[in-house]
Amino acid sequence: MTSRRDFLKVTGAAGAGLVLGLHLEAKPQPGEAAKTAFHPNAFLAIRPDGTAQITVPKVEMGQGVRTALPLVLAEELDLDWSRIEVVNAHPGPDFKDLGTGGSRSVGATWIPLRKAGAAAREMLKAAAAATWQVSADQCRTEKGFVLGPGGKKLSYGALVEEAAKLPVPKDPPLKKSADYHLLGKRTPRFDGPAIVTGKATFGLDVRRPGQRFAAVLRCPVPGGKPKAWDEARAKAVRGVKAVAEVPTGIAVIAESTWAAFKGREALAATVTWNEGPHKDFNSRDLEARMRAALDGPADTARQLGDAPAVLKTSPRRIESEYFFPFQAHATMEPMNATAQVHEDGADLWLGTQDPNETQERAAKALGLKTEQVKVDVVLLGGGFGRRLGTDFSREAIHVAKAAGGGPIQVVWSREDDFGHDLFHPATLHRMQAGLDGSGGIAAWSHRIAGPAILRSWLEGTKAPGQTQAETNGASDIPYDIPALDVAFAEVEAPMPLGWWRAVEIVPNVFARECFVDEVAHALGKDALQLRLDWLGQRGRVKVGRHEVDIARLRRVLELAATKADWGRKLPAGHGLGLACHAYDGRTYAAEVAEVSVAKGQLRIHKVTCAVDCGLVVNPAGLEAQVEGGIAWGLSALFTQITWEKGRAMQTSYQDFPLLRLPDMPLIETHVVTSAETPSGMGEPPVPVAIPAVLNAIFAATGKRIRRLPLEDGLI
Amino acid sequence: MAEYTLSINGQSHTVEASPDMPLLWVLRDRLKLTGTKFGCGQGLCGACTVHLGGEPVRSCVTPVSDVGAKRITTIEGLDLHGAHPLQRAWIEVDVAQCGYCQTGQIMTAAALLAKHPKPTDRDIDQAMGENVCRCGTYLRIREAIHRAAGQRKEVAP
Repeated sequence: MTSRRDFLKVTGAAGAGLVLGLHLEAKPQPGEAAKTAFHPNAFLAIRPDGTAQITVPKVEMGQGVRTALPLVLAEELDLDWSRIEVVNAHPGPDFKDLGTGGSRSVGATWIPLRKAGAAAREMLKAAAAATWQVSADQCRTEKGFVLGPGGKKLSYGALVEEAAKLPVPKDPPLKKSADYHLLGKRTPRFDGPAIVTGKATFGLDVRRPGQRFAAVLRCPVPGGKPKAWDEARAKAVRGVKAVAEVPTGIAVIAESTWAAFKGREALAATVTWNEGPHKDFNSRDLEARMRAALDGPADTARQLGDAPAVLKTSPRRIESEYFFPFQAHATMEPMNATAQVHEDGADLWLGTQDPNETQERAAKALGLKTEQVKVDVVLLGGGFGRRLGTDFSREAIHVAKAAGGGPIQVVWSREDDFGHDLFHPATLHRMQAGLDGSGGIAAWSHRIAGPAILRSWLEGTKAPGQTQAETNGASDIPYDIPALDVAFAEVEAPMPLGWWRAVEIVPNVFARECFVDEVAHALGKDALQLRLDWLGQRGRVKVGRHEVDIARLRRVLELAATKADWGRKLPAGHGLGLACHAYDGRTYAAEVAEVSVAKGQLRIHKVTCAVDCGLVVNPAGLEAQVEGGIAWGLSALFTQITWEKGRAMQTSYQDFPLLRLPDMPLIETHVVTSAETPSGMGEPPVPVAIPAVLNAIFAATGKRIRRLPLEDGLI
Repeated sequence: MAEYTLSINGQSHTVEASPDMPLLWVLRDRLKLTGTKFGCGQGLCGACTVHLGGEPVRSCVTPVSDVGAKRITTIEGLDLHGAHPLQRAWIEVDVAQCGYCQTGQIMTAAALLAKHPKPTDRDIDQAMGENVCRCGTYLRIREAIHRAAGQRKEVAP
């Protein structure tokens, strides 16, 4: 059974607006560091030589938390940025929620990290004041030093012994943003030098003494099991050490990755499968069931007025159907984990977005106590939600247990990674708009049919938050419409589903913002003006489960339009398209895409993006996330996973055409200056990119695209 | 199994491997040179790019038996301390996000600059078009290559 905590965590990952607390008052961990260093809380240790070690309470997957979060603490403490060492947290009593997703790392740690830094700053000041026999008020801090009256100056390193004896203040004063000198400035990625020299350690780079490698032969059909196989064929491959059945399939353990792959290939030639009840599953049948479900009962996510009745009596009604296909994560580093099971417990070395869940689930799989499993998190070669899953770490634990002895690295091939992803599900969207006699919007209906991610995540349980999770981006439609109907009709599907960068917001905002464009066109109105009219002049409003500041959404919309010179005369075959969204009511994004279509060939020239995420911790990180988020969205214009005979038909990059360098449009990022509490930027740029481009294609060609992926010659 | 003597980053290494073992796994599993990455095993993504006799190759589809006496250069041999103009430019432009594909990107770019010290955008498109980056760092990769080639002005801090 899944605990409530699991549910809170997963809904958090899906963007439910939950902030789970950190443990500011966690005691220093026993050990050498505590004895020789000033270690006022779990995030920080300062050594006598003045170097500071910051423990990052979230996971780095390319979104920059190993830079941004230390910056927040370093700012409050006035640390010397060049003398900082950054380490990853271990799951345990000090760090109970390392789970990283939903664009919430900065927002969730903002206050705890500032307090941690401020508390240390006050203690160092007090230690210096006692040494100099002055009042702490007469002291200030600067770049790793406490400065006192009459030119007195002591380094933090010189003060650690005295500071360590002082009580940790509970409510230290926090800096004012006007006094920041690290936050708001461009700081390059902390891991940059290690990455460009090849020294950075990702999961697949873990090399433990005596380590062996394994590949698992899994049934290509979800729920299928091996019936018969000849392990002698695998063992005949040079370098193969053992073959063992595990819950996910048959593991081949070898002295190198290559031998494991070769051994598995030999084994695959001998295996027969019991493919189970889903062996005939295919995309066409699923889509037919999705279409039928749109006419059947559905779970209401948001209702305002009597939209169905208004739609029936509207003098003009517009209706369209949108389709968004299954997607794979395709992280550059395939799934993997290195595991060792020994007398006292187990060790895992891996890239995971959820170290705590990884630890708990591994312990459960082995019948151990949680603390008997040690989890070392290394860099993730891409996360995007895929590595919130514990499927690959649990599998590694089972392989290590079956193999016995030393550490085993279970390596997924690229084909494994595509075929056994935790997929983003397809959805079908029925959009209806009812217009009144004077061309105003009277009613809006957005009904979504598809498999439920949350149910799959909870292994079959329908959680109370399911409908809200699946309709995020649709139920929080920010426009002021008198009658609304947003509902989700669940359709069963056998494959495991998971979180995929910006999750359900991507298809829901795709359908919503393209349909807004359709209505604007039908009314002969400008797409920007129509949105501004529909948003109205309102302040903070509750839309579905989110609260959205309409003024902030208007501002990014107007800023993107101004910077892209919306309405300008364009060359023949070119078009501009626009879309906007308030991500969980936290981060506001609008994008204008410029495209051209010539002889059926689409070219995306430029995307102008305006964002408001409150105070910006690191502008360099923000821009990287905007560029990467847009690239993620643009790839999804061209990629899909389809199903035949129960199998995912796409197996590698040749049939999953991700955006390449020559196709990357120029991206211009404009940031609304704000002092609001910072929110996230990993996901918010994604959902708007797709409708912005599709609306631009319509402007360029008059062709409305309601079904993805784009296909050659479709335009 | 056979024995191969390979010239890697200016040093001679003797390894035992089956003839069909791709160079990638010789580097990663036999010699612990893990800067060269496994992305697809089919030569489709470029994460495993190394130089063989100065040419960029996909080490995941290059059997060790095909290497012969040709010089192999991996990211560790480009410059261990990150002093190569591309590595410096990569830091200055802050290219990397997750970073997994970047050693392959840099090795592909290094081969490009060796042939075209002042590459045009079109040269870059052609050379880099088969290297996948799922984080979408492409604009910065282009910028960093130009910067390493000394063609772009400093980026304002």
